[in-house]
Amino acid sequence: MGLPPFRRAGSLPMQPSSKSNQPTGRRSSLKNRSVLFGLMAALFLFAVGCTKDGQSTWEAFGPVAQKQLDLFNVILWVMVAVFILVEGVLVYAIVRYRRRPGDAKPPQIHGNNTLEITLTIIPTILVLALGIWSVFALFEIDKPPEDGPAPLQVTVTGHQWWFEFEYPDAGNGKKIITANEMRIPVDRPIQISLESDDVIHSFWVPKLAGKLDMVPTHINKMWFQADSDKITDDLPVTLYGQCAELCGLAHALMRFRVTVMEQDDFDSWVAAYGPPPTNTAKAKQGAQIFAHHCTLCHTIDGPDDPALSASRLTGFLTGGDITPVPAPNLTDLRTRNTLAAGIVDLNETTLRQWLHNPEDVKPGNYMSERAVLYQDGPANLPDEAIDALIGYLLDLR
Amino acid sequence: MAAITGVIPRPTSYAGIWGWMTTVDHKRIAVLYGVTAFIFMLIAGVEAGVIRLQLASADSDLIGPGRFNQMFTMHATTMVFMVIMPLGVSFFNFVIPLAIGARDVAFPRLNALSFWLFLFGGILMHVSFLVDQVPDAGWFSYANLTEKPFSMNRGLDYWAISLLVMGSASVAGGLNFVVTIINLRAPGMSMMRMPVFVWMTLITSILLVLAFPVITVGLIELVMDRNFGTHFFIPSEGGDPVLWQHLFWVFGHPEVYILILPPMGIVSEVLPTFSRKPLFGYPFVIFSGIVIGIMGWAVWSHHMFTVGLGPVANSVFTITTMLIAVPTGVKIFNWIGTLWRGSIEFTTSMMFALGFVALFIVGGLSGVSHAVSPSDFQQQDTYYIVAHIHYVLFGGSIFGIFAGIYYWWPKITGKMLNETLGRLNFWLMFIGMNLTFFPMHYLGLNGMPRRIYTYSAEFGWEHLNQLASVGYVVLFVSFLIFILNVLQTRNSRKVSHDPWDAPGIEWSIASPPPPYNFAELPEVEGRDHYWILKDRAEAAGTPITEPEALVDESTIHMPSPSYWPILIAAGVALIGGGLLSHYALSFVGGAIAMMGAVGWSNEPPAAPSEHH
Repeated sequence: MGLPPFRRAGSLPMQPSSKSNQPTGRRSSLKNRSVLFGLMAALFLFAVGCTKDGQSTWEAFGPVAQKQLDLFNVILWVMVAVFILVEGVLVYAIVRYRRRPGDAKPPQIHGNNTLEITLTIIPTILVLALGIWSVFALFEIDKPPEDGPAPLQVTVTGHQWWFEFEYPDAGNGKKIITANEMRIPVDRPIQISLESDDVIHSFWVPKLAGKLDMVPTHINKMWFQADSDKITDDLPVTLYGQCAELCGLAHALMRFRVTVMEQDDFDSWVAAYGPPPTNTAKAKQGAQIFAHHCTLCHTIDGPDDPALSASRLTGFLTGGDITPVPAPNLTDLRTRNTLAAGIVDLNETTLRQWLHNPEDVKPGNYMSERAVLYQDGPANLPDEAIDALIGYLLDLR
Repeated sequence: MAAITGVIPRPTSYAGIWGWMTTVDHKRIAVLYGVTAFIFMLIAGVEAGVIRLQLASADSDLIGPGRFNQMFTMHATTMVFMVIMPLGVSFFNFVIPLAIGARDVAFPRLNALSFWLFLFGGILMHVSFLVDQVPDAGWFSYANLTEKPFSMNRGLDYWAISLLVMGSASVAGGLNFVVTIINLRAPGMSMMRMPVFVWMTLITSILLVLAFPVITVGLIELVMDRNFGTHFFIPSEGGDPVLWQHLFWVFGHPEVYILILPPMGIVSEVLPTFSRKPLFGYPFVIFSGIVIGIMGWAVWSHHMFTVGLGPVANSVFTITTMLIAVPTGVKIFNWIGTLWRGSIEFTTSMMFALGFVALFIVGGLSGVSHAVSPSDFQQQDTYYIVAHIHYVLFGGSIFGIFAGIYYWWPKITGKMLNETLGRLNFWLMFIGMNLTFFPMHYLGLNGMPRRIYTYSAEFGWEHLNQLASVGYVVLFVSFLIFILNVLQTRNSRKVSHDPWDAPGIEWSIASPPPPYNFAELPEVEGRDHYWILKDRAEAAGTPITEPEALVDESTIHMPSPSYWPILIAAGVALIGGGLLSHYALSFVGGAIAMMGAVGWSNEPPAAPSEHH
C-alpha cells in the first residue's frame, strides 16, 4: 500500500529503555510534558505491539490476512494523523487560551456555519471513502480466486472445548477426521466450512485470516491460504489459533494449531493416517484397555462413524452423570504435537498426567466430568495400564 | 382495609430514613441514585481488580475459569446497568427540573418507583453472590451458552430477571423525563433555548423508552427457554441463537448512546462555563445528538461482523457505522470551538471535561477502525475492543460523570469539593486510565482474545498485562482520593449559590436548592439565561450576589411523600425473587404490588395537614 509495514518494527527492543521514556522539553508545561510522555509511551507500545508473536495480527502469511492487515495499516495511519491533528488543536487551545489574571471576558462567539458545514463534509467524505474501500475488500476476500488451484475442503466443527477437522477428500478420496491440529498444504486455498455441535465458538488463525463464528445450525464459509513467499522459515511451520467467542468454562483453553506443509509432506501425512499399530504385546494390551475404557467417546480406527457421532452428541446434550460425549478422534494422535486442544506439548509425561487426571491439565473438560474412569477424581487405573495406553496411543517401541 | 384501599394519609415527615424512603423530591432521589450507583461502582471496581490480578501473570491459576467468567460478567453488567446508567439518571433527576425551571419532574411518585425498582433489581442481581449462583455468560450473555444444558445453575435466571426489574425502572424513568422536558419547561424556555444537557437527556430518555422493550422481549424469551420449556434460542429444538444477538444488539447499540449522551451533555455544560464563552455551534451539537440517537438504531450488526451474516449485510453496517462517526466528530469539533479564544479556567470539573474530550477522541478513532469490517474480523472479540469500550465508557462516560459531580456538587450540597484533592483525583485517574487501557490496544492486535482467564507465556502478552494491572492500582488510588474528597466536605466551607459564574438557571437559586426549587418560575429570555441576567445586572451597576430569595414553603404546593412507590417496587422485586426461589413468593409479591397500585391510585394529592 506504499506505507511502511508495521511488522518490520518487530526488531525494536521489547523492554522499555529508560532513556526513551524521559520527557524532553524543559520549559513546556505539565500538560505538554504529559503529552510527550504519552507519545513516547505510545511509541514504545507500538514496538511491543508489532512483534511477530504467535497470534500477532501484524504478520500475515496469506492473502486474506494480508488484505485485512493492509486495510488496518491504512486506517491506522489515518487515525494517527487525525489523532495528532485533533489532540494537537485541543492541547493548543488548552494552553493558548488558559485564563490569565486580569483577563477580560472573551468574545461571545456562538458559532460559524461555514466552518461547521466544512467540518461535517470533510469527515463524511473521509469515512465514506474508507467505507466504500472496505466494502470492496469485503467482497474481495469473501471467496477464493476462481482461477487459482482447486481449494482443499475442510469442515471445522467447534465442540466444548476443542476443534474437530474433517477433510472429506484429503487426497485420492481419503476422508480424514482429526482434532486440534490442522494440516494444510502451502500455496493452496483452503475452503473452510464452520459448524458447531453445542454453543457458539469462533475460528481464528490470526496469521491466515480474521475470525468467523461457528454457530450451531448455521454453516459459515471462509477461506484462507498460506503463501510460501510470505513465510520466511522453512516448512513445516506451525501457526496458532484460538477460539474467540466465549463458550464456557474452558474457553481460554480452546486452542489449536495449523501446520503449513509442502504438498508432498501433506500427502504422506494423509497416507499414514490410520489406527496405531498393535504389533507388540504392550500395544495389544494398550488397545484392549482403550477398547474397554475409551471407545464410548473416542474413535481410534479412522474417521468417526456419523451414526456414532450423532448418538454421542445426543448423550452430551441430554446430560446425565455418565453419558458418551463427542470427543477428539485419536486415530492420528501419535502424529500430533499437542494435547488437550493445543494447550500443552504432547509427550509421554504430559499424556501420563492427562490420563492420570485430566482436570489437572485442563479444568472444566468433559472427560473428567463424564467418563466412568474419573468419577472419583484421578483415574482408577494401575500404572502399567497407563503405560500400556501411552505406548499404544503414541506408538512407542 | 384502610391500608389496602389507600385512604390512609400521606406521610408528612421529611426527616430521617423514613423521609428518604417515602421521598418524591427529585433532588433527594438524585442523591439516592448517585449513592447507590457509587456503591455498585465500588463492587464492580473490586471485580475489575480480581480480573486484573488474575491476568497479571501468564498461566496464573489464582482463580479458576468459573470465577473469572463470573467476574467479567458481573463487572460489565454492573458498570453498564447499575453504575453508568443510574449515575446518568442521577444527573437527570437533580439537574433537569432545575435547568428547565420546574418544581419537580412530571410524575414524582413514578420517579421514586423507578429508583426503588432499580435498587431492588440491583440487590436481586447481587443476591446471586450470596447463593453462589452467579451469572457467568458475559454482559451480552450470548445464547445458546445461556441455555440448558450449558448453563445449569440459576445464574442466568438471576441475570435475566434482575435486568427485567431494572429495565422497567429505566422505561418508567425515560418516560418521566420525556414528559417533564416536553411539558414542564418554564415560560420562554423554548426547545432551542434548552441547555445541551437537557437536550441530551431528552434524546437519551427517548432511546431508553424505545430500546428497553427490545431487550425485555429477549430476556423474557430467555427466562421462558430456561424455565418453561420454550426454545426460542435452542438450535437443537429449532430455535436460533443468532436471534438473541439481534435482539440484544438492537437494544445494545442504542444503549451505548444511552451511556455516552448524558456525559456529552454534562461536558457541553462544563466547557462553556469554564471558558466563559457560550457553547460553539449550539444547533449543531443538538442536531448531531439527534442524528446519533436516530442512526444508533441502524448500526447494531457491527457487533456481529463475524457471525457470518455475509458480505452484503456487513457492507451495509460498515457504511452506517462509518457515517455515525460524523455527528460524533461534529460534537468534538464544537467542544474545541468552545475552548477556542475562550478564557479557560482549570477547575477539577473542567479538567475532567477536557479529559473526556481527549480520551473520547481515542475511543472514537479506534471505533472507526473496527467499523471497517474486514479489519474488524481480526479485532472482534480481542483486547483491542476492550481498549475501545473503556476509552469510550471510562475515558468518556466516567470522566464526563466526574466532571458533572465536581460541577454540580456545590449546588447539590452547598459545599465545595477540595480542588487540590480533585486535581490529584483527575491526574491519577487520567494516568491510571491510560496505563490500564492503552496497552490493551496492542494486546488485542497481538492476538489476545477477550474473556480468557489465562494465557500462555509464549504469546508475549505478559508484560503489557502487567502494565495494565499496575494501571488498575493507580485507578484504585484515584477513587480512594475521590472518596476522601467527599468525606472531607463535612468540614469544608459553604459556597455561594453561583461559585462558577455559570450560565444555567439552576445557579440562580440557593445551594442546596429549597424543596420547591424556584420561588417564582423564571421567564427565560434566551440560551444561557442566567448569564443574560447577570450581564444586565452588571451593566446596570447592581451585580447579582444573592440567590433568589427563599419564601415560606407552606405557600407553595409540592407533592407530598408517598409510601406506595417503595411498596410496589418491593412487590415487583419479590415477583422476580419468587421466580428464582419459590413461586409462592411471586404471588405474594404480585399481591403486594397490586395493593400498592390500588393505594397509589387512591392516594390523596397531599398530606391532610396541608391546605393546598
